[in-house]
Amino acid sequence: MLKTKDINEIIFQALNSINDERDPNEAIGVHEETCLFGENGVLDSLSLVTAIVDIESAMSEASGQDICLTDDKAMNQENSPFRTVQSLTAYIELLLSGAI
Amino acid sequence: MYQDKWILVTGSSRGVGKLISEHLLRNGASVVGFARGEASIEHPKYFHMQIDIGDIQSIKGGFSRIRKLTNKLDVLVNNAAIATSQYVMIASAGAIQEMLNVNLLGTFLVSGEAAKLMYKNHHGRIINIGSMMSKLQPAGGAVYAACKAALNTFSIILAKELASYKVTSNTLAISALHTDMANQLSSEVLHQTISTLTFPRFAEPDDIFNVLDFFASERSSYITGQTIYLGGVS
Repeated sequence: MLKTKDINEIIFQALNSINDERDPNEAIGVHEETCLFGENGVLDSLSLVTAIVDIESAMSEASGQDICLTDDKAMNQENSPFRTVQSLTAYIELLLSGAI
Repeated sequence: MYQDKWILVTGSSRGVGKLISEHLLRNGASVVGFARGEASIEHPKYFHMQIDIGDIQSIKGGFSRIRKLTNKLDVLVNNAAIATSQYVMIASAGAIQEMLNVNLLGTFLVSGEAAKLMYKNHHGRIINIGSMMSKLQPAGGAVYAACKAALNTFSIILAKELASYKVTSNTLAISALHTDMANQLSSEVLHQTISTLTFPRFAEPDDIFNVLDFFASERSSYITGQTIYLGGVS
């Protein structure tokens, strides 16, 4: 079972990949409190898609478990999992544990 | 021109897909073929996978196998399609659903999975095999023509979504050539349709290879969201 810090690391890597494509002065901050999407979010729609694909793929490799971050379960959450790195990590932990 | 290229062709076991796969193999590509049926091509660089492209799990399984063969995909040829000539008032829901599944849903799903392989390499060519039917819109071809028209639009939007990853998406809208699929359409519809082309004849395989090679070329990195019709459809 992946630990919280492992999941955080996977998300950080996805954000760093996005930064690699950006102008340095447009780089996004990479930390647990980073607002990903929505109000004050640092990702536009296309960047969010890229991040999701990267994270799903890396999670599958690291855990051997396929997860889907964009199915009805994600969309039906009262609070979007994509608000911050922290909320996304928490949501992935729920998925991996089978709690949802 | 395809040396060291990995290319996925859907619907590779017969018709246009088989012709395209053989052309790519002759020119040095490694070809993965998705088809519901068994392999009809034997070549050391041809990798056949029995995949139902109307089924996402089947597609995901196919891509999982592709990832074991290679970490890149240079070209996707979305060719798989079925055509049944049916007048709207007597078309069966089952036949319509099957065409939608293979011609549209399958293409959407395969493109999504292929794009995941292409975007990290910042390179890729998606070539959708369209049809003259989308523009000529013959009576008796409503579902097939509508699917192909939708494919044209899909290709344009895909081009926009993937542009920042340097992946192009274009449509090669072919006229009829003598294949199993053409035989599934009524000869009345087919011949009437062909007679309206600027060049009123069946296509030859090389007519298709010519445009396919153009879209697939490294030099075509600035060509995206385009549809080329064979035969002078206007």
